[in-house]
Amino acid sequence: MKNFVNQLSENRKFLESALPAEDILYYAFSSADGVECFLAYADGMVNKQLLGELAAAPLQVTALKREKPQEDGTVYEVNAELIAQTVLFPEIKEVEKTQDALRELLDGNTLLFVDGLACAFVVGAKLLPVRAVTEPPTDVAVKGPREGFIEDVKTNMILVRKRLKAPELKLQMQRVGRRSDTMVCVCYLEGICNDEIRKEVENRLKKIDIDVIPDSSYIATLISERRHSIFRSVGTTERPDVFAAKLAEGRVGLLVDGSPIALTLPFAAVEDFQSNEDYYVSPFMATIFRALRLISVLIALISPALYVCSQLFKIQLLPLGLTLTIAESTSRLPLSPSMEMFVVLFVLEVLKEASIRMPKYVGMSLSVVGALVLGEAAVSAGFLSTPTIIVVAFSGICLYAVPNFVETGSILRWLFLIVGGSFGPFGLTLCIGFVLYYMLSADNFSMPLLAPFAPMTRSDLKDALVKYDIAALSKRPTIFGSKNRTRMRVKK
Amino acid sequence: MKKQAPKSLTNKNNGTTINARQLSLFLAFFLPVGKILELPSLLARGAGGDLLLPAFLGSLLEFAALCALLLFAARSEQSVFERLENAVGKWAARALYGLYAAYLLCSSALPILDLEKFSHAAFSDTEPTFFSFTPFFILSGFICTKAFKSIGRCSDLSPALFLIPFLGLILLSVSEADFSSLLPLFEKPFSSSAKTLLHALPHFPAGGLLLPLMSGYKYEKGDAKKVLPAFGVGSLLFWVFLAVFYSVYGTTAAREHYALAKIAQYFPALNWIGRIDLLLVYTLTIQLFFFTALPLQLCTHCVCKTLEKPWQVLVSAALNLALFFAVLFLNRHYDNIYEFFTRSLWWVFLIFSTVLPLCAPLLAIKKGGGKASTKAKKEETQCTQKTP
Repeated sequence: MKNFVNQLSENRKFLESALPAEDILYYAFSSADGVECFLAYADGMVNKQLLGELAAAPLQVTALKREKPQEDGTVYEVNAELIAQTVLFPEIKEVEKTQDALRELLDGNTLLFVDGLACAFVVGAKLLPVRAVTEPPTDVAVKGPREGFIEDVKTNMILVRKRLKAPELKLQMQRVGRRSDTMVCVCYLEGICNDEIRKEVENRLKKIDIDVIPDSSYIATLISERRHSIFRSVGTTERPDVFAAKLAEGRVGLLVDGSPIALTLPFAAVEDFQSNEDYYVSPFMATIFRALRLISVLIALISPALYVCSQLFKIQLLPLGLTLTIAESTSRLPLSPSMEMFVVLFVLEVLKEASIRMPKYVGMSLSVVGALVLGEAAVSAGFLSTPTIIVVAFSGICLYAVPNFVETGSILRWLFLIVGGSFGPFGLTLCIGFVLYYMLSADNFSMPLLAPFAPMTRSDLKDALVKYDIAALSKRPTIFGSKNRTRMRVKK
Repeated sequence: MKKQAPKSLTNKNNGTTINARQLSLFLAFFLPVGKILELPSLLARGAGGDLLLPAFLGSLLEFAALCALLLFAARSEQSVFERLENAVGKWAARALYGLYAAYLLCSSALPILDLEKFSHAAFSDTEPTFFSFTPFFILSGFICTKAFKSIGRCSDLSPALFLIPFLGLILLSVSEADFSSLLPLFEKPFSSSAKTLLHALPHFPAGGLLLPLMSGYKYEKGDAKKVLPAFGVGSLLFWVFLAVFYSVYGTTAAREHYALAKIAQYFPALNWIGRIDLLLVYTLTIQLFFFTALPLQLCTHCVCKTLEKPWQVLVSAALNLALFFAVLFLNRHYDNIYEFFTRSLWWVFLIFSTVLPLCAPLLAIKKGGGKASTKAKKEETQCTQKTP
């Protein structure tokens, strides 16, 4: 059946056969003049009290039939307009196609059927279980707004709209996933966003053919140009203020139903080193923070490999006194420096993984057991040396200075360690060169990954590693190709 | 009048363009890295304390080639090869591409051999086997598959990769330098300097690299004012290094191969804080890797143009594999090969890196590339400017 028929029983039979699920409930009642009606809804997704008070109750006291004079006498027919007026919901619409009605029902809306009408009324009585808007756990800031996205796309859209009360803000819905039918909201500011990039994003979303989208990370992977790259090609944020700011720069944003993580694109690697807090503190502090983050990441990536290189290939890298101290603590170890580093790094990764998955209180004890007891015992027993544990611990801490880079950083750290341990500082330097060349030749949605450094865009360098005063950022970044570049007019 | 918004990057970058800023950075901070490896020792061997003279003459030759190529670019909207194709025919252009591919392949051998020796000096306390150097060919193979835009972007990064470590090394080493070693000037006869220059020609590759590279460059009015001073900066940095190098090592400079790795090691504080100068050397080496792979990258481009096929990956693999085996063999006869290149093949380098680029403007004159074509070209470049 493609369209509904005007017989109520047939429509109900169709629904029951199309959705033979126990959570789909039907509530039948009659109008004041005896016209049979029923409501169909998914249990737990609807505000039943409101539905009863504002839809069923008014209909039960209203006569729905009206007279229609014809040549062979007067006939009575159901007045569809009256139904729409009687049901006291602002969101009510008619659907004739069965597929549309089923989609609305599964979305949490209620379907109202009236005998004699070959359509269903979609009543917006949706009440989905959503959690409260809280501070995002992965994106905590000392200064700045505390709101974070949640799993409900509609709430997320409101959070964005609250910050961008502009008619130019477009929120276009697309459905992705054959079975999950996930709503993906494409957000952009018309006149500011580059249309070519937006169209490309929309095209790539349309091309996705997958059954279920459990999280926005699926979308991020599926629309990426380089799916096998270890570098991210789509920006992520849980903060509506960051999301709104990125839209205002000319980016395209994606809100995915069921995921609190919003996507922004195009993405440049430098974004990982920027924090929302940088814009709420003085530019000097922001620049220092960014420099700290960059140095921390470099230390995190290179220090384990460089330590191994200094032990195996180039002893001169460390001062003589330090070399002798290290030699003293490593002289009786059963493992080679590279193997030892490998083991300690492995332990760190295991501890990290376990502490994330463990319940909070167990996690704390795990940290104590893992970091203190295990580490101390391993050193006392002569399995591991103190310098190696210090290097790995410091490397681990440094990597978390840039939370969004942790995944990539972990992989690169392993890679550098393996190459550095095998080929020495030459291999390590070569590997860094390789990664650098890969990055500088990579593009995301035609935007270079290393923008604005390579290719160098002088105006965009004002908000790269060095953060200029907000007045100096009166133009939007050039790299997004925005049609309207003026962000702020500075009155002198 | 309303200012036109900058164009999007999305639909115009075909991956082959390089702009004036990138060319300037290439000449200032990318090109000199290849000259500070073995060339200082070579110049000191031939010219002693007068090593700045052949260096100056060499830079002058490069400058002349650069001027000629800029003149050509200013007069013609096409590359040298396209111009040749229009003037003489397709086969002539393909032949030139083929010749340049052969030249670039041969000319890449010496820098790779130098890099291999340098890697032993800078990266290991012991003498590693040749196979520890083989991963370089993986990087080189990867670089060769990339278009000209990566060379441009690489140039954009060169201030960080070259200038900062270079200045760091100079600052660390200058404290031990005795600049009086360079005096008296012109101690040796000019013929000696000229001979040294000829033997050092393989180390002045600017013209030979720029000719194919500039096929991805569109001249805009005023570019010469940026590009030529940038070359001056690059040359100046090279001369500064030579001066510091000879001042640190004096009469033993001729025997100090790959001095870059150890020039700053005499800085007193390094005894206490370790060889942090090596971190600067390693950073500079990243740029050196990119520079060493550059002739092969251009060679891959030329081979693809000769064959008229977009087989970058295949050609890159073949070239790097061939060079790997060549270097594996030549490595044992390094001194002989070095002698052969510097003593016998200097004229080949002279032709490809100086004479042919100097002849390039003739092509533009022949076909009437004057003002009209410059204007047409200007219109075209307005559409592509700011393209990385």
